[in-house]
Amino acid sequence: MFQALKLKGHAGDRAFRAATVSALALLVLFFITIVASMLTYTHWSTFISALFSAEILFAIRLSIITASVATIIAVLIAVPAAYAISQYDFPGKSLVDSLLDLPIVISPIALGAALLVFFNTPVGAWIDDNVLKFTFTVVGIVLAQITVISALAIRLLKSTFDGIDPRYEQVGRTLGCSKPEAFLKVTLPLARNGVIAAGILTWARAVGEFGATITLVGATAMKTETLPIAIFLSLASADVEKAIAVVFILVIIAVAALFTIRKLTGRKYRL
Amino acid sequence: MIEIKNLSIKLGNFSLKDISLSINDHEYFVILGPTGAGKTVFMECLAGLHRINSGEIWLDGVNATSLAPEERSIGYVPQDYVLFPFLNVVDNIAFGLRQAGYSRADIEEKVKYLANLMGISHLLHRETHALSGGEKQRVALARALALSPHLLLLDEPISNLDLQTAKYLRLELRRFHRELGMTTIHITHNQREAEEMADRIGILNMGKLEQVGKPDEVFFYPESDIVSDFIGTPNILKCDSYQTLGQGLVEVDCSGLNIVLPHFGDCVERIAIFPRDIYVSQTKPPGPEVNRFKGTITGIRPSGAIVRLDVKVGENTLLAEIPNHIFEDMDLAIGKEVYLIFKLRRIRAYEGKKT
Repeated sequence: MFQALKLKGHAGDRAFRAATVSALALLVLFFITIVASMLTYTHWSTFISALFSAEILFAIRLSIITASVATIIAVLIAVPAAYAISQYDFPGKSLVDSLLDLPIVISPIALGAALLVFFNTPVGAWIDDNVLKFTFTVVGIVLAQITVISALAIRLLKSTFDGIDPRYEQVGRTLGCSKPEAFLKVTLPLARNGVIAAGILTWARAVGEFGATITLVGATAMKTETLPIAIFLSLASADVEKAIAVVFILVIIAVAALFTIRKLTGRKYRL
Repeated sequence: MIEIKNLSIKLGNFSLKDISLSINDHEYFVILGPTGAGKTVFMECLAGLHRINSGEIWLDGVNATSLAPEERSIGYVPQDYVLFPFLNVVDNIAFGLRQAGYSRADIEEKVKYLANLMGISHLLHRETHALSGGEKQRVALARALALSPHLLLLDEPISNLDLQTAKYLRLELRRFHRELGMTTIHITHNQREAEEMADRIGILNMGKLEQVGKPDEVFFYPESDIVSDFIGTPNILKCDSYQTLGQGLVEVDCSGLNIVLPHFGDCVERIAIFPRDIYVSQTKPPGPEVNRFKGTITGIRPSGAIVRLDVKVGENTLLAEIPNHIFEDMDLAIGKEVYLIFKLRRIRAYEGKKT
């Protein structure tokens, strides 16, 4: 079989091409199969009735609201943070830079567990009791989502700011802008597409967030039931129709998000 | 008046060393130097984009050393113009005016005036990415001039343009300068451009300011080998006598060589000719004897596509350049005799330092 690696000339080209394209085809076929299997599992009428059940409508609404709030907060923090890490030198910068990769790589359920533990410490418990109730509440969903997506937002925005020539800001300065004005009037407009793309990607990620959310706020139907939790609850109660309906909603949201980004930035941003 | 006192800065492994320079009001000052000499960094220091390690920068009597760029009243045109891509031409030009809080009517008037002056009125509502290099250049210039800065900084403003546009823009830049009168610092690596445009030239090399002077002074009195290398090591000859021949020609005696050159004026102190403008022949060329000299080769130095010849004529040693392929066809060696002919129109004359 290793003889194939030594094929010279066009035969080698063709064999290699066939091998790589087959790998691709295999993977695409796999995804088509699992999606199609869901289609065979459900009927249109039951799908529609599941989709418009009070529980699913609640989950859609809760997911969209929490993800939107989480995204707005995360992006508002991530824009200046990403700018700092992109443009400034400070002691421990590379350490901070690596630390920011952790929440992206680490399992969300671990982050959720860490949050839960934090709210069991005296300080955390005091905050939970006296400032804002996070554990097992909708506010907690937002916090769990922010925890998972903020690092991702910083990563995406950092690469946006890295790609902006600092001379734009310098010219802005010579035209009378203070540093903050130059940021707002020059850098931010230049970063506009990157910021929107980062917003959409982190929003989509927040909508899909499950691990941290369920650990911090539990899975209470009609209370902390986001779309992924709805899938979990439906499967747990063997209501496959409902689970499939939610899966399709998530697929539609994901496709819409990716489509918008592609329209906006011309294939530039990928996860 | 711009005064730079002992400016030093270190950036990574690059540095500017102890630069002192004064530039007069309304002067067109060109900084000439090879790539990597530190020209752009120097300009960025003036614009306030770097914190300098030591020295002072005074702009119009104000110590600007620690002022931020927005506090310096400087117009800056970076090398590739850096137009704001999210704004169209009008909004690019108006950017500084809006920032300074001018009224709508004032902004409109000023933009119109500048667009007229630059000849870009027809481009005002275009997007910047659709402009040609020369057009971008003008927009960047209009943007930098909108706030009527005391000092205009131009970083290689002409280098990236095609020859035709570049030629035209040299004249245009001088015209804008005449009309608006702002002190201008222009940096370039092109010696012709510097000579043509500058009131005075400063030669910068390896982070050091080698020489400052009027174009002719720098050309005829290079103060160091670096400068004379950079301006192309012309043959510079001192002239002892001077005689008008009529028809715009004069004859000078340069330590024994009688040289005829085109010149209008009263005297000639020095003449210069580039090595490439001296024709070398083994046999006595036919034709008039004007500017034809017999000499002995004392040195042969190949240098890339050309070969440099040192030729001793009387008590002068002249440097001539010939292309490699021609050198190979000739039978030249040290000690051989050759004839040199100066291209008459390429001889440059200097009347002496004006007081």
